[in-house]
This record gives sequence, C-alpha cells and structure tokens, in this order.
Amino acid sequence: MIESFLNFLQNTGAAALFAYGGMEAIKTIVMIIIACVLLYLAIVKKFEPLLLMPIAFGMLLSNLPVLKDSPALMMHTEWFTDTQYMIDGHFIDVGKIVREGGLLDLLYLGVKLGIYPPLIFVGIGAMTDFGPLIANPKSILLGAAAQFGVFFTFVGALVLSALVPSIMFGVKEAASIGIIGGADGPTAIYVTKTLAPALLPAIAVAAYSYMALIPVIQPPIMKLMTRKKDRMIVMEQLRPVSKTEKILFPIIVTIVVALIIPDAVSLVGCLMLGNLLKESGVADRLAKTVQNELMNIVTIFLGVTVGATATASSFLSPQTIGIVVLGLVAFCFSTAGGLLLGDIMCWLTKGKVNPLIGSAGVSAVPMAARVSQQVGQKENPSNFLLMHAMGPNVAGVIGSAVAAGVFLAMFSNI
Amino acid sequence: MYSDALLTGKDLPLSEALAMGGETTVIGLAIVFGVLVILMIVLMLFKVIFYKDPKKQQKSADTAKPTAAESVPTVAVESEKSDEIPEDELVAILTAAVASSLNTSTYNLRIKSYRRVDGRQNAWNRAGLTETINNRY
Repeated sequence: MIESFLNFLQNTGAAALFAYGGMEAIKTIVMIIIACVLLYLAIVKKFEPLLLMPIAFGMLLSNLPVLKDSPALMMHTEWFTDTQYMIDGHFIDVGKIVREGGLLDLLYLGVKLGIYPPLIFVGIGAMTDFGPLIANPKSILLGAAAQFGVFFTFVGALVLSALVPSIMFGVKEAASIGIIGGADGPTAIYVTKTLAPALLPAIAVAAYSYMALIPVIQPPIMKLMTRKKDRMIVMEQLRPVSKTEKILFPIIVTIVVALIIPDAVSLVGCLMLGNLLKESGVADRLAKTVQNELMNIVTIFLGVTVGATATASSFLSPQTIGIVVLGLVAFCFSTAGGLLLGDIMCWLTKGKVNPLIGSAGVSAVPMAARVSQQVGQKENPSNFLLMHAMGPNVAGVIGSAVAAGVFLAMFSNI
Repeated sequence: MYSDALLTGKDLPLSEALAMGGETTVIGLAIVFGVLVILMIVLMLFKVIFYKDPKKQQKSADTAKPTAAESVPTVAVESEKSDEIPEDELVAILTAAVASSLNTSTYNLRIKSYRRVDGRQNAWNRAGLTETINNRY
C-alpha cells in the first residue's frame, strides 16, 4: 500500500515541478504567472475577454507541471513545430497526434490545418454590413492604405534581425509579425500557422492585446496627424444602398480576389459566404448560426489551443519581446498610413472627407470605427462619423486578407 | 531563390534586409491597392447601374413634362416638406414640452418664435443616437 501511495506521489504535479529542477521549474512558474496576469487583464480589465480568457487559460493548461511522457499531457507543441517529430521532417504526423495526443493536441489540428480562422471569418461576414462601403466606394482605398504598417513592420522585423544578434527573423517570421498590423486576429493566426508556427502564441497574444488597446493607441496618432479644422468636418449623408447591390457585392468580391490572389480566397471567400448568408435574406437560420453558435464554439477552440502553444521554451525568448515591440510599431504605422491617405483625400475633395475615418482602415471591426467616431465627436459633438468610418473599417478586413494572401503567395512554398 | 540568411534570419546583412523589405513592400502594397482599386471601380459601377438619385429623377420629370411645368414646383415643395411636422402642430408640441418641463399649464405660455439650433438634428435625437452607438459598438 505504501508503495502505491509513493507511486501516486511521484506522479503529482508538485513532484513533476521538483523533477524539472532549476531553470525549467522557474520558467514554468513564470509562465503560470504570465497566464494569470492575462486572465486578470481579461476578467478585471475586460481586455477582449472573449478571446483573451480562452488564450490565457490555454496557456495555463499547457504549462502546468506534468511529468514528461505522462498521458496527462494535454498539448505537445513540439509535435507541431519540431521537425524531428514530423514525417519526412516536413509534414505533421496526424496519425501520431490522433493516437497519442491530448485534448488540446486534437483541437489544435483545427488551427494547424487552417480550419478555424476561415470559419471565424464566416461568422464575421455574417455580422458585417458592407452598406457604408458600397455607398462610398472611395473609402475602400483607406482600407488599403492602412496595410502600410504590415509591410513597414515586415521591413522592421528584418532590420531588427540584422541588427540584434540574439533575434533571428527570416522572411517568413517577418511576414507573420508584419501581419499583426492588419489588426485582424484570425488573419494573423492563419498566416503564422503556415509561415512561422513557432511564433504563433506570441503573435496571437500580441495581435489580440493590441486590438483591445486600439482606443488607447490610436487617438494620440489621430490628433497628431490631423488638423482640428479637418477633424470637425461633417460628411455628407451616405446614399441608400439597395438589396441587389448588397447581394451582388460578396459574390463579385470573391471572384475578383480569386482572379488576382487565390491565396486570399480561403479568408475572403469565407467572409463573403457569411455576408451572403445574411444579405440574401433567405437563409436566416444559417446566418444566425454562423454569427452566434459556430463563431463562439470556434473562438473557444481557437483561443484555448493558441494559448496552449505558449510553452516556456517558445514564449520566454528575446524574440517574443521583439514581436511585442514590432506589433505595436505595426499598429501605429497602419493607423498612420490610413490617416495619411485620409488627409490626402480631405485635401483633394476640398474638405468633404473627414481624415479621422482613415484610422478606421485597420480592420479591427468595429473598435477602430468607434474610435474615429469618438475622436470626431470630441471636436464636434453633433458629428456622427461612425457609418462613414465603417466603410474603411470593413475594407480593412478585405485589405488585410489580401495582404495575407500576398505573403502566403510569396513565402509559403520556399 | 532566397538566401539562407533571408530564410533563417541568421547573420542577415542590413543591406539585404532592406533590399528584401523594400521590394516586398512595393510589390505587396501595389497588389493590395490593385485589388481594392478594382473593387472600388466595381462599386462605382454599382452606383451607375443600380442607384437612381431622387433629385435627378425629379429633374428628369421636370424636363420630360414641360407643359406641366407650372404645377411641378408646388408638388416639389410639398414633397420636400412632407417629412416635417406642420407648423401649428410643432408649436403645440413645443408648448406642451415647455409646459411640462416648467410644471405649468399651456395656457400660461405663448411660443413667439422657434429656431432649430443645429441644421439637421435636435438634441433629443442626438442624445439618443449617441447612447445607441455607445451601447452597441
């Protein structure tokens, strides 16, 4: 009896922590503390709690002290990132994962195989109203300009890699970091899982944290880059958009994007599928399911498993600090890119366009549009920019998906 | 196609990093703008094909019926005003609102003149809209 009790003791988490010993034990404790801080931010500070909470809890789950090779291990990150566990050193061994993997391994397949992000896009599509964009086609350009930060950060990551010896970002890693500037969580995850799976946790955490911080990051840049006089501009009311236009739009966008950049279709196509379900008006049940139940279920799976990839060895590195800094740079320059084109459009139209809607070109829907609205209303309380800002905002979603497609087309096969 | 240094980031020379970054930025932004400009053109066509400006329709009605020109202006004026409240009703509403907020009878009040403060919206609408926006987004 004593023997079986000792056996039990050896298998406890506390015993595992002692067995790790030294540095590894400290790292595990640090990771658990980080997870708890993120949980605090999600629950008490309400930073994107719907996403940050699953991510933080996933992080907690995969960093709990468990003996190596114990069947209690829920996640084996190395199976997805370390070439020695892969077939031919290239493809993940799905058979092994299904046979021996824990719960989180199985759910993570949805990320690794690129299933969750497009499914989330179906839900986002069903919640998006492209009406303001259809009514004001020029605002689509602001969604393109706000991708400037994506490419600027790509350069930044390569330069950082050249200057700091302990940080090594190749083109694939740089592309994955740059896409944080698209301010679009699913897109960032989709690109990163293909190009730089080892960086997935750091990039996902950075992307979602900065999206939650948009109301803090954007307003100072907006005030710096626009004149008070321009911020007070009241824009003309948008024209009404017919149902026919709203139905044709998703179909045409899908075809156009496919003709130019097929790599973006899995994201843009799914976005447009969701939108068509809603706008067609004949599939209400499906539209409701994708924007509520399906989206919520996938969000839980995605959040928990992405968080679970954040193990001490992949997360506690100088690269993570680099990603956190570069992510902020990406957000700032995307905002600045949108505002710059907003200023130019304001000048070209002789004051008909309020440049504040430019910052909404980053695709965090609808936070970025709401920030435009709030900053605008501070200058002129009777000004309602929200609907005008929704145009660039939804264009930003398309823009960052196209930027993601560009990166995938350039770097996924090298 | 890409050097090892570019792929791994190890011992990457600054010049190569900048050259690669610059090239990708130009190509990438060109494609992103290209796709979205095409979509913009499609949307502009939408406006031409599907949207009929009510003002222009009015004008074309004008030109199409030159003989009925005299009767058209009066109709136009009426239709323009049709979404506004008739003046006597508006005065009654204003009197009632003032009376209610001052806790007095409508008999003690006379509205001499009224003026809309903001060209497009009244304060109640604005407050309501702001509240809705803040709740929903």
